[in-house]
Amino acid sequence: MKAKAIKLGWSLVYFVAGMLLLLGMWDMVSRITKGEIPSPIATWGTFKEVMTNPFQNDPDYKGIGTKLLSSLARVGIGFGLGSLIAIPLGFVLGSSRIAMNIINPIVQILRPVSPLAWFPLGLAIFQDSPKASIFMIFICSLWPTLINTSFGASSIPQDHKNVGKAFGFSVWKYITKIMLPYTLPHIFTGLRLSIGVAWMVIVAGEMLSGGIGLGYFVWEEGFNGGSVGKILVAILIIGAVGLLLDRLFTSLQKRFTYAV
Amino acid sequence: MNSATTKTVTQNIADSILEPVLTPSTAIAVNNVTVSFKTLKGTYTAVKEISLTVQKGEIISLIGHSGCGKSTLMGTISGMVKPTTGEVIANGKKVEGPGPDRGIVFQNYSLLPWLTVYRNIYEAVDSALKNLSKCEKKELVEQTLKTVHLWDHKDKLPGHLSGGMKQRVAIARAFAINPTILLLDEPFGALDALTKSNMHVELLKLWNLDNREKTIVMVTHDIEEAIFLSDRVVVMNNGPEATIKEIVPVPLERPRNKKDIVHDPVYMETHDKLLNLLIDKFSIDDIKE
Ligand SMILES: Nc1ncnc2c1ncn2[C@@H]1O[C@H](COP(=O)(O)OP(=O)(O)OP(=O)(O)O)[C@@H](O)[C@H]1O
Ligand SMILES: [Mg+2]
Repeated sequence: MKAKAIKLGWSLVYFVAGMLLLLGMWDMVSRITKGEIPSPIATWGTFKEVMTNPFQNDPDYKGIGTKLLSSLARVGIGFGLGSLIAIPLGFVLGSSRIAMNIINPIVQILRPVSPLAWFPLGLAIFQDSPKASIFMIFICSLWPTLINTSFGASSIPQDHKNVGKAFGFSVWKYITKIMLPYTLPHIFTGLRLSIGVAWMVIVAGEMLSGGIGLGYFVWEEGFNGGSVGKILVAILIIGAVGLLLDRLFTSLQKRFTYAV
Repeated sequence: MNSATTKTVTQNIADSILEPVLTPSTAIAVNNVTVSFKTLKGTYTAVKEISLTVQKGEIISLIGHSGCGKSTLMGTISGMVKPTTGEVIANGKKVEGPGPDRGIVFQNYSLLPWLTVYRNIYEAVDSALKNLSKCEKKELVEQTLKTVHLWDHKDKLPGHLSGGMKQRVAIARAFAINPTILLLDEPFGALDALTKSNMHVELLKLWNLDNREKTIVMVTHDIEEAIFLSDRVVVMNNGPEATIKEIVPVPLERPRNKKDIVHDPVYMETHDKLLNLLIDKFSIDDIKE
């Protein structure tokens, strides 16, 4: 218990040191550019300004919180749909050599394509830019989850399979009591990578698509509005949310890993 | 008196060479079974032309060098391993796969680490005994867990159990489906001497509870354990192409008392015989584990 507290204390010290280093460098860059890049203190002012009424939701003005939620919702829908397809498909690929041999080349060809390349295709299909960004998120959420799930499902130890065989588990029981629990940590690894990509891509997507969201905020209010401070604020918010999402899936992954 | 005890060794060997005779009291008949595995280096024949009959209610031990094919032979009886040639008859039917008439305790427990002790047994019961109601299944699991003194630990995950407890869960899981044939692959291998001794008594208790009608085939490396528990000890040759070297009867009256039988001349004679059969394969250290 004590050792744990000490370890926690030290990691806190390192975190603060890292943050101070970042702020120091940031301040230096700000001085060198003579305020072209606003200093941390000036940015803090912008941050407070941006954060007034974060959830304001008027037709002519949306608060930063509303924009954040709108981006998150889009990521959530695209990522959710992608996962809904990737996980069962991963099970199939992981259990059938033939399915794997057929599908794998397709995955290998489509996976390296930049998610942004899917945006115009989505636009052509749906004739609607928010839907096109969801489509883009959907596509790029597929691959890491699919690959990790199928790897997990294909590496179920013989011992576990033997239990199902020896006691005559039905296919459904085999999937829910053996395959899914064994594969869960792998699935969460895939989901964590997927949501990371999705969160990166949504910002770019919203710059292309416009509408309500953090990406559009960076572009419209930050760049077009000539406020580098707002760009910096948006970057920090995007980074912090991305970190939280990553931590969420890491803890899920740990939660569902079992000692034999 | 068990029928096996009146047979001589040569008769037993003759039995294993000749086509085994099916009688109503035969629980298991292994007929000329050969198992070959396809490996990267070609086919590997683990056991060759093995024949063995086990009577209803008999306790048999398989003993032999590590890797000689004991688990493989057990696998052909349980239905987990398909014989390359030959066949196994269990309870009058040809073995085509695992079935609820044969309970298996795997060499490495094979518990599902994400299920509690209770669920590990429940899921097996649920699958193997389809015609019981949910209530009956729950009752059965509870009763079995109490028999092996694990009821207090029913909500623990296997990762939080000691080796002996895991083994008891695996045994309880096999017993719960109330099979007529129990196949135990080194069930007590990982236990300390004291726990092992307790488990022997527990196993015999369960066997007695069922009027000694269950047939038990057990793999072990432990000569004392084999003698204490079995009616006959099957000694296997080394692989590849392992065969049965000899079947040694254990003509000791039941119930057997662990402390007393070690001084019994029959015990010592049997022990000596088994040791001699194994000694050119083993060093004594190996046998004693
Ligand atoms: N699925 C398999 N594929 C290839 N070879 C196998 C397979 N299963 C077993 N073998 C081989 O068959 C031989 C017998 O294995 P088996 O597990 O039956 O031995 P064992 O007598 O149970 O050994 P131990 O006492 O160590 O448990 C070994 O040489 C093993 O490598
Ligand atoms: Mg073995």
